Amino acid sequence: MNLQGEASIPAPPERVWVHLTDVDLLARSLPGCEKLELEGEGSYRVTLKLGIGALSGSYTGTVRLSEMVPEQNLRLALQSRGSWGFVQGEGTLALTRQERETLVRYQGELQVGGLIASVGQRLLEGAARMVINQFFQNIARQAAG
Amino acid sequence: MAKAKAGQPGAWFGRPLKRKEDPRLIQGLAHYVDDIQLSGMLYASLVRSPYAHARIRKIDASAARKAPGVVAVLTGKDIDGVLGQIPVAAALPELRIPPHFPLALDRVRYVGEAVAVVVADDRYRARDAADLVEVDYEPLPVVSDPEKALAPGAPKVHDQFPDNQACRWVLQGGDVEKAFRQADRIVQQRFVNQRLIPVAMEPRGVVASYDAGRQTVTVWSSTQIPHLLKTQLALMTGIPETHVHVIAPEVGGGFGSKLNVYGEEALVTHLARTLGRPVKWTESRRENFLVTIHGRDQVNEIELAVKKDGRILGLRARILADLGAYHQLLTPAIPTLTGLMIEGCYKIPAVRVEYIGVFTNKMCTDAYRGAGRPEASYLIERMMDLVALELGKDPAEIRRKNFPSPKEFPFATTTGIVYDSGNYTAPLDKALDLVGYKKLRAEQQKAWKQGRYLGIGLSTYVEICAMGPSSTMPAGGWESATVRIQPTGKVTVLTGASPHGQGQETSFAQIVADGFGISPEDVVVVHGDTSTVPYGIGTFGSRGTAVGGTAVFQAVEKLKQKLVVMAAHLLGVPPKRIEARNGRYQVKGNPKKSKTYNEVVLAAYVAKSLPKDFEPGLDATSIFEPPNYTFPFGAHACVVELDPETGEVKFRRYVAVDDCGRVVNPLLVDGQVQGGIVQSLGQALLEEAVYDANGQLLTGELMDYAVPKAWDVPWLETARTETPSPVNPMGVKGIGEAGTIGATPAIVNAVLDALRPLGVRHIDMPLKREKIWAVMQGRQG
Amino acid sequence: MIPSSFEYVAPATIEEALSLLERHGGEAKLLAGGHSLLPLMKLRLAVPRTLIDLGRIRDLSYIREEDGKICIGAMTTHAAIESSELLQKRALLLAEAAAAIGDVQVRNRGTLGGSAAHADPAADYPAALLVLDAEFRVVSRNGERTVAAQSFFVDMLTTVLRPDEILAEIRFEPDPAGSGSTYKKLHQPASGFAIVGVAARVSLDASGNCRAARVGITGVTGKAYRASRVEKELKGKKLDASVIARAAAHAAEGVQPLSDLHASATYRAAMAEVYTRRALSEAAARARKV
Repeated sequence: MNLQGEASIPAPPERVWVHLTDVDLLARSLPGCEKLELEGEGSYRVTLKLGIGALSGSYTGTVRLSEMVPEQNLRLALQSRGSWGFVQGEGTLALTRQERETLVRYQGELQVGGLIASVGQRLLEGAARMVINQFFQNIARQAAG
Repeated sequence: MAKAKAGQPGAWFGRPLKRKEDPRLIQGLAHYVDDIQLSGMLYASLVRSPYAHARIRKIDASAARKAPGVVAVLTGKDIDGVLGQIPVAAALPELRIPPHFPLALDRVRYVGEAVAVVVADDRYRARDAADLVEVDYEPLPVVSDPEKALAPGAPKVHDQFPDNQACRWVLQGGDVEKAFRQADRIVQQRFVNQRLIPVAMEPRGVVASYDAGRQTVTVWSSTQIPHLLKTQLALMTGIPETHVHVIAPEVGGGFGSKLNVYGEEALVTHLARTLGRPVKWTESRRENFLVTIHGRDQVNEIELAVKKDGRILGLRARILADLGAYHQLLTPAIPTLTGLMIEGCYKIPAVRVEYIGVFTNKMCTDAYRGAGRPEASYLIERMMDLVALELGKDPAEIRRKNFPSPKEFPFATTTGIVYDSGNYTAPLDKALDLVGYKKLRAEQQKAWKQGRYLGIGLSTYVEICAMGPSSTMPAGGWESATVRIQPTGKVTVLTGASPHGQGQETSFAQIVADGFGISPEDVVVVHGDTSTVPYGIGTFGSRGTAVGGTAVFQAVEKLKQKLVVMAAHLLGVPPKRIEARNGRYQVKGNPKKSKTYNEVVLAAYVAKSLPKDFEPGLDATSIFEPPNYTFPFGAHACVVELDPETGEVKFRRYVAVDDCGRVVNPLLVDGQVQGGIVQSLGQALLEEAVYDANGQLLTGELMDYAVPKAWDVPWLETARTETPSPVNPMGVKGIGEAGTIGATPAIVNAVLDALRPLGVRHIDMPLKREKIWAVMQGRQG
Repeated sequence: MIPSSFEYVAPATIEEALSLLERHGGEAKLLAGGHSLLPLMKLRLAVPRTLIDLGRIRDLSYIREEDGKICIGAMTTHAAIESSELLQKRALLLAEAAAAIGDVQVRNRGTLGGSAAHADPAADYPAALLVLDAEFRVVSRNGERTVAAQSFFVDMLTTVLRPDEILAEIRFEPDPAGSGSTYKKLHQPASGFAIVGVAARVSLDASGNCRAARVGITGVTGKAYRASRVEKELKGKKLDASVIARAAAHAAEGVQPLSDLHASATYRAAMAEVYTRRALSEAAARARKV
């Protein structure tokens, strides 16, 4: 599944950048994040508990950040497995300063396997959009606050 | 039951009797595999791969083993060298057969492939513990498209077959090059026969119970082939075949998906033996979608060499069949039926078909109702419409022009088979007449002018069934029957066929009733139990009545002779002076001198006085080995109107005229035809097993895989012509699959016919609303 | 298709249910008809630790008129709504939406409250409830509150309901005099859910012009919405075919339609227009007849 879009965050790129790359701050923005620990250079061990309405499932895996150009862009890769099968994906985030705000453009590819791929097809795009929106809303709230 | 007078020849044959099996089915009194409860029973739950292709690095089952109620957890290592491979019975030259075990050994090749089995004391605990098995997978590159699988550098499904090619098979007859040189036109098209999921109402299930004292295993399985399963289980598990007893209890539909030997059947048998307790596994609907065989999945290129007058000179085709990751029982054989039947009901003097079977990271395909023939009829029947379109001729006329005449039967096709009997014009004329073809064409012209999309689709098909002569079958093509008249005159029929919805408890009873001048109510048909009925082949390939029914007919004939001999003995006349009439055996010319059926039967049992060389009792077994297949045919006409705003297909009429030879029970025939048409409608408009590029099945349940619902189905008008088959004494052919073979092209042709004003040549199935809508919006075409 | 283990409780009163909810917090789920929740549990997509069955609570299933409003208990089945004479006369679009759900078996078990609380993006009711400007009476141990339909549905599978709250009743004003309403739906062929479902109600003034029009659309995006631009375009106009067609062209304005196997975003948007047009034409025709 291809995902792309943009989000406007009421904070300057330097603040947004910190929220995207600092382990503790990132953990607070990732929806359902129960654990995020540094594993190695740019690599984090992650446990996510996703809940969308009646649906709930947990995933554990690795988040890897690379191609980092501070306050401008980075590449994010996720490998995870859990009760619903696996989720893996890779995408880029590009930050642009817009007066007092930061425009974040994202683009990526998400692969979902196992249970959720075969029975959750019709909800997938909506769910992905929801999680992404929550993520940027969380960052916006925290970076602005 | 009916007005027919018992004892009249043919009193029951041909009558629309309601099914004897229905009362128990519709009252919930029937017993399926999952209804079986045995004391001390254990339950198996399988751990399945979420990856379409991955190496298994490690399996940690320690947590699962410690879970409450868990008795055993087995992985591939535990069955390596213990259980044999899942069998493939298809014989093709240079067929590549990859190892295929009930549990993956070190690599998984499709989503759902089993990697471990958990056995616990109830099914809930087994399922919970399955979640605790930790499998460490190393994902590998995936190929889920057959054309991509053949491309250089594609991921290898099996390392030993680096080109992913499973088989190649060429069928050729006549001078194809010449035909194409002499053609006025060459009509070409690429077609996709999309992958379908059989979705039998009852998913699969297995129960096995081991008697340690007798060292005998009893296996209940939801299968179409209990006898073949018995043999294969013996081979896979090493238990002597004399010690394997297979029972197919009530089977809730198969459509070919249970014409197979599955890993779970061997696994559960093995578990029952090693654990010493009965074990049950019931497939979930989700598993049924993922790991029970799929059907179709071919990409076809076809071209016809035609003369201006519509005569077809030659045909060239390439069948690219996506076989999935492994072979199941008949996987690579199914597309050969597409090749054999690609000429359809036409005289095509030169034919070349190349079939390439391809491995991909998907579930295996195999026989699904129609099995290779719907693909063939779809190709040739779509092509006939394209020929008509290109030549500006009526599609009915193009078809008529290329039919062999009734005088040419038996008709030898260019692909090398012999159509037993046929009169292809008769059902076409009847269908056109019933549907009011001429008027419709006139109405269509008006509709088009008003911007309405009215379409008329035809299909004239022939199919190959009553499988089949043993020489052409992987594991025997005959069928057995034992007919046993009980001392009270009631009759038990033991058939090697394994009906699972076809209604042969009724139609076989009709055959028997006519033979003895009794009522079908006095006949019970027993099937599916390998300890009770003689070895047989099973029910598939529309063979139940033409092969299994003929065996019953022959056994009845043997007993009729015996009854005559006994009656003659009782009446003191030579047997040739005896005639059977109105349920009595009487002396010709002296009807007062007679014995009733029951008197004769009883005399044969009590054996106070016997004719010379007469064995007491009335029990006869017959095996019918058919000399040829049979070739039912017919014409379907479909009338649709498309909603110009939404692309929805609205049926106005559906007329099916089928010819399946002589008809034992027209109600059963109508039911088979209608059910088949509904499944065709599914393929034509709704159904598609969608795998993504990563080999994930996206249509993994009924929320996303659209089997037709009652509201999707129009009134189906059925009619018949009757051209007896010379292949068997009753002249019957077979009708189990004809609906799926004749209807798909008729429906697709109707939709494309409706779109003719837009200059649209073809849309691949399923013809979903959005595809049609997009064409009407001018977005493609 | 076996769920994870869970505790099952069946309280007899709503008070009992609320205290159970309070005790189990976010680990509990309320069971109404179960036609969405149980399949999710069998797939283990939902793994509640406790299931609180509302089926034994007697006073949650009713359709009645009170103080000029139609009140429907949350546990009222689709079948009851579909066949209610009161609704057929005074809020036909809701009865039609109920009749468009699933099949007979589903309608006999599934409930209005269960469906609303589950908030499936392709469910039929939300479109109708938006048009009716329905109020959702929500109760908890701390009292009760009333939420308007517009704010009740938050996003896909998400409502304003907090873990300790129960949706007890949905109520709305019946159709005004001189109005006509309907619910029209394009089924997803596998599930029967809406690819697009449009609820429409129009009321005409004495001269036959549109006094007010309301259009609710479900299935197109993550939650049902009111097509306010469509409504605005109709106001005060004579509802002939061309006026309706022009207004319907705005059916998917301002929303981001979803794509799935059954319909692309483009097709969804186009069908929103087609079905809005069809629903409005039917509603207008009905309004003219009264």
